[in-house]
Amino acid sequence: MIWEVFRQEEAGDYHTHCGNVHAPDRDMALAFARIQHARRMPANSLWVVPKDEIGEVDADEAAFGGTTDKAYRWAQTFNTDENFAEEIAESQREQEEAERKREEGA
Amino acid sequence: MTIAGDEPSLGAPDDLSPREREAVSALVRAMADDEFVLAERYTEWQVRSPTLESDLALSNVAQDEYGHARLWYDLLQDFGASEAELIWEADPVDFRHATLVELPFPEGDWADPILRSYLFDVYEKLHLEALEDSSYPRIRDRVGKVQSEETFHREHAENWLERLCADPDGRERVQFAADRLFPYGLTLFVPTDRESAIVDLGIRTDPLDSLREDWFAEVIPFLESLGIDLPVTDDGVVEVELPEKIGRRGDHTDHWPDLFAEFTHTYREMDLDEPPRLMEDPDDVG
Repeated sequence: MIWEVFRQEEAGDYHTHCGNVHAPDRDMALAFARIQHARRMPANSLWVVPKDEIGEVDADEAAFGGTTDKAYRWAQTFNTDENFAEEIAESQREQEEAERKREEGA
Repeated sequence: MTIAGDEPSLGAPDDLSPREREAVSALVRAMADDEFVLAERYTEWQVRSPTLESDLALSNVAQDEYGHARLWYDLLQDFGASEAELIWEADPVDFRHATLVELPFPEGDWADPILRSYLFDVYEKLHLEALEDSSYPRIRDRVGKVQSEETFHREHAENWLERLCADPDGRERVQFAADRLFPYGLTLFVPTDRESAIVDLGIRTDPLDSLREDWFAEVIPFLESLGIDLPVTDDGVVEVELPEKIGRRGDHTDHWPDLFAEFTHTYREMDLDEPPRLMEDPDDVG
């Protein structure tokens, strides 16, 4: 049985997928994950998840984000100052980054 | 100088009386050799364990044990001996590990290293607890570091034993290993010739006899709960004879000279003046 392993480096961080282990059950998966995925890397917490329990939808099946122009989703489309709040500036940077990646991928 | 409980504390390495020094040396030598030789045996499973995961786990346990051996050999080096003299150029009869850790594994018998690890790791837990308040500060200061890694070793072995014994074939293998290894487990509790000084001076706060009773009280019910038969009467009396070779006084099985020759082979082959050292001195790291 395969268990996907997610490692959190510091408290508050996201748990990030870092690999998997073969183990018969959760306790053994945790024990093996400690050795295999937290021995040399900083870790605050580990999750193990049965691979079969992970749901997936991928780009072949779904048009992520839709196919039409949805620029109204952008914060700066509205009449706000980008520097009005840190959150808006952050959202702006995220959108620009996302657009750049979409263009690269196109 | 006093420590908690106003027990007398021993001094720095150079300040020990001959009696104190011999007692510390005897205790630490046995501990260091146990860890080192057990680690040597574990490494034989590298690339041979049942799965990649179990291979990495046991290799990791071996690495931990080497690290613990380093901590304890370092305390012997306080008294002037070099690492080469203690290990690589030592006479095999100078080693004081219990014979449990030097036995070879029957080929492919995974139940053996798992059960051996369990028997040893429970012993080590109890032994380290009896060193937490050691009168010798150099020992006391290192106990916590070792304990934090040992918990994983014990859980690893227990997890495996529970799963092996859930299956009739697996349980039969564990039973064979128990028939062979349980008597050797007792060798861990055979005192060195300095036992009375070790206890009188408070270097270890419990005698080995009482640690053995604690060990029985933990390993017997656990293994019996997994369906393993042990030579214990209904009244709880353990009916086991000690193996012929014990280890704690330099008496070893015929397997020991071969293992010693094997792990010192490269050192001799390369004609080294001193063993190469990759790691910092334990006193220089946090």
